[in-house]
Amino acid sequence: MSTPAHPTALSTAAAPGARWPGGARSAVALAFDLDGPTGDAMLSGEIWRKPAYFSLGAYGPYRALPRILGLLRSAGVTATFFVPAWVIETWPDACLAIVEQGHEVAHHGYRHERYWDLTPAEQAEVISRSQEVFTRVLGAPAQGFRTPSGDWHPQTPRLLLEAGFTYSSSMRGDDRPYFHEIDGAPTSLVEIPGRWDLDDYASLAYTREPDFPKGQDRIASYELTLDNWIREFDGHHAEGLCMTTLFHPKVSGKPGRLLLLERFLAHMSAQPGVWFAACREIAAWWAQRPAPQAGGGPEATAHA
Amino acid sequence: MPDTTAAPAPGPAEAAVESPRWPRGIRCAVVVSVDFDAELPLLAADPTTAQRVKTLSVGRYGATRGVDRLLAEFQSQGVTTTWCVPGRNAERYPHLIRAIAGHGHEIAHHGHAHEDFSRLGLAGQLEVADRGSEAIADVTGERPRGFRIPAGEWAAGFPDALADRGFIWSSSLHGDDLPHFHPARTAGPRVGTGTGRGTARRLIEIPVHHELHDHPYFFFNLDPAFPVGQSRIASYREVLGNWTTEFDAYRRFGLCYTLRLQPEVTGTPGRIGIVRELLRHIRSHDDVWIATAGEVADWWRSRNTGNAPGHPAEVFDRCARELA
Repeated sequence: MSTPAHPTALSTAAAPGARWPGGARSAVALAFDLDGPTGDAMLSGEIWRKPAYFSLGAYGPYRALPRILGLLRSAGVTATFFVPAWVIETWPDACLAIVEQGHEVAHHGYRHERYWDLTPAEQAEVISRSQEVFTRVLGAPAQGFRTPSGDWHPQTPRLLLEAGFTYSSSMRGDDRPYFHEIDGAPTSLVEIPGRWDLDDYASLAYTREPDFPKGQDRIASYELTLDNWIREFDGHHAEGLCMTTLFHPKVSGKPGRLLLLERFLAHMSAQPGVWFAACREIAAWWAQRPAPQAGGGPEATAHA
Repeated sequence: MPDTTAAPAPGPAEAAVESPRWPRGIRCAVVVSVDFDAELPLLAADPTTAQRVKTLSVGRYGATRGVDRLLAEFQSQGVTTTWCVPGRNAERYPHLIRAIAGHGHEIAHHGHAHEDFSRLGLAGQLEVADRGSEAIADVTGERPRGFRIPAGEWAAGFPDALADRGFIWSSSLHGDDLPHFHPARTAGPRVGTGTGRGTARRLIEIPVHHELHDHPYFFFNLDPAFPVGQSRIASYREVLGNWTTEFDAYRRFGLCYTLRLQPEVTGTPGRIGIVRELLRHIRSHDDVWIATAGEVADWWRSRNTGNAPGHPAEVFDRCARELA
């Protein structure tokens, strides 16, 4: 069973400069889940009877991704894309462009499987099949993992370590990285937790059939959504934390929402001391950063 | 409104704006479409509403007041639009259909009784296509050339069958923000030939997006519940902000902006104001082509011969064939 090696208390007194490279105050691991049309309906085969639903997802890799890459290029920011291997096989050139432009591509299932539903052997099969695609199309296996659709399985972290992954960005329970534990013992697997507040699905996604959100809540105001995101960043930055996002090109790569992302990036870039990094860079830093000074912060316990 | 003046360096999608995508000097296309649904979706979702006059009146408002209010707004701003009409509404409200057509707007097919296509096989869907066309032709004298699915998903082969019936466009899917071709499923030349089963016969899709549709933001009914979670009616001002932001971005990227209104939703005294403000904002740009879906489809077919291989429509067609 995996339990996280959390710091025991929040200490805003910790010198943020000691926490991130180059004296940066906070870290931002901008991340996109490029799911395309993968997910439950593809796993059941139902999607092949649903051209409109398929089109909603395929918009992401086909139309939204190039626009997002253009935005990242102009902003000079590196990001991580968690991509089901089926998407890489189907749009190889589009996914290769992510790597060629200096961004990271990481694991997100083969067809966005629910790891919770799979046996360890089935999970290992999804991972090895996907790593083969990563190696063949992108030139290297994935280092990072973000669990698709819901929870992972109790044995998943062990499988990730065996497969050579260095980090996961799957959890919600913290606002800075930590090390996963297995059977009470810390491991080298770094977690870069995200938050639902920074998942664009929670504000902006909408489909009628299958229904999302379940209660068919309204699509939120773009302006107020951007205000939420900015407040989240401001809070993370003020406390010297690590913020990641769960943005989906098919959701926030829509034309108008790209303007929101542009303004969000402009706001973050205007603050001094923000370290924009791919998740693998954050994980590598967390694993090897200088030991905190005595009494310098609760992260010390995470190295125990 | 957001400041969109600081444009990033062109990405692949923006670089394509330089290509002659739209008529000379035009930056983006705008299709204002109206789904004249009235009470039919309520009846289709729950037949017991046939006895529930209050519930039906929520939808019927569109026919009673909303159509006229939208028509007057479009007329005062000189905007030509596309109306997607279920056949049964053509039968029930022929005077409204004639008024819409008489103002120069395009009349398109939107099912017969606003059926959920997921509950019909291909044969049933084609029966709906034919009934709806006949009902519209009986009123307007012309069979519709365009189609928007009322609800649900169509069966394999449906776009081909629509093209065989003389339809030239659909506005039902979400995979792009530019028009594209529906792949032909029958044998023969497929892409780029312009002959036979090639592009000349293939349906053009004008994609739609939920965020540019009034219904998800504003429609409300207490019982039967819509939305099922009975969430609040969205802020009018904020929805206008979303629609305006989207328009500004579509113009920047050179796309086809398809607004989707319903008379019972935005043909109201309060909401017509945001339609007015949005249209005024759009019309304040002299490089925007406000056109009917049919005009956009004709233009697209005249300038394009097919889709890129990775286009969602092509990928779906290939995968669905392989798995069939």
